[in-house]
Amino acid sequence: MRYNREIGFIGFFLALYVLYFSLIETGPAKFFTAPNAQKLFYFHVPSGLITYLAFLMVVGGSAVYLYNQSEYADRLAKSSTELGIVFGFMSLASGTFWMKAEWGGDIVSRFLTDMRLASTLAMWLLYIAYFVYRRQPESVIVKKNAAILGLSGMIMVPLSYLSSRFLRSHHPVIVGTEDQGSLDPSLRMGLYAGLFSFLLIYIFLFQMRMKLEDFERNLLKNKMERV
Amino acid sequence: MRFFSIIIVFLLLASSVSAECRDKDCMPNERVVTEADQNGGSVIVSGFEIYYDNVFEIGTTWFVIFEYGSSHANGSLEFNFGKNLIKNLTLQYDGGIATDSVSFSGTSFINEEPHKKLFVNFSSEKLSWSVELDIFVNKPPSEDMIYLWGGMTVFWLGIGAYVVYLSNKFQELSDKSGLGNGDRKKN
Repeated sequence: MRYNREIGFIGFFLALYVLYFSLIETGPAKFFTAPNAQKLFYFHVPSGLITYLAFLMVVGGSAVYLYNQSEYADRLAKSSTELGIVFGFMSLASGTFWMKAEWGGDIVSRFLTDMRLASTLAMWLLYIAYFVYRRQPESVIVKKNAAILGLSGMIMVPLSYLSSRFLRSHHPVIVGTEDQGSLDPSLRMGLYAGLFSFLLIYIFLFQMRMKLEDFERNLLKNKMERV
Repeated sequence: MRFFSIIIVFLLLASSVSAECRDKDCMPNERVVTEADQNGGSVIVSGFEIYYDNVFEIGTTWFVIFEYGSSHANGSLEFNFGKNLIKNLTLQYDGGIATDSVSFSGTSFINEEPHKKLFVNFSSEKLSWSVELDIFVNKPPSEDMIYLWGGMTVFWLGIGAYVVYLSNKFQELSDKSGLGNGDRKKN
């Protein structure tokens, strides 16, 4: 993809701006038990949404692979899994820090009793399993099994996303609700800027990963031809 | 993966557990009650001892432990920081060495005060004395800053570690294919 490096730079500098905006431009948040830790909001929410996007791409890629054995779809699913794991880790870890500061209490019991946290962790672990499974030599059966595993995100992603709306959870719900409109304008601007910067970083890393995967497969193909 | 595992283990262990200790052994400072004698020196008033921490951390309940073993101890004890910040204790001596304590809420102070005086006044029918304790009212740094920096670090480390991983993988594949750096860029 052309301009991929530029996309990466813009995403990175935009993330730096969001960092400046969240830490310096806006003061400590009002109405929060942990007014400083609230600043994690500007990166935690975007990283969570990008995680969903990445795993949905795995679902899409897996479905297409099962339908027509497209190598491109398989590469897409495999590459997106890694990125979903990275962004998912960022979302889960930052959320854990924020939760500890804002809610207090025991982290482990929170993960076991809050459905949003439990389902998100389960989704993340599922794709860790996918990632581990794909570390073995590539074959049609491995790709097919991985695609079936990748498709399970069709259940896990909506379950995680909707769990705080319909199941027992303390996790706040903002996106897609009336609260989104009533967000403070500065909060909304920071959120959208953070989301856009992470989207650009995701596109940049995704392209890099796809290129790497392509390189690896070509290398393997050449080696096989020589043999 | 090893990096992620370390972070996860750290987060699981990070649930800090701290209990308030109300035992005199936990108190770093000790004051034996004395009173001035006729020659300008001081004499020990037998049987009265105060255990305390000379640092009052804002946000944490602060305790003073009072130990007494005198038959003159039946009386009232007042701990006075001034400005209506006063706690009273009525002592009933039953023999032996007895212990009692008072606590001040962590929200008693808002700002730091380096040499805050705590006046401890005792009065009974036969005895009365007064001592002055020098307390440092300390405002600890906001606790959630640690979580903020911890959380923020995760983003930069996550992205940084992944870029390093991709770069190493590219390098490894280039070495395998026998391509130099210049050739690799073409791919």
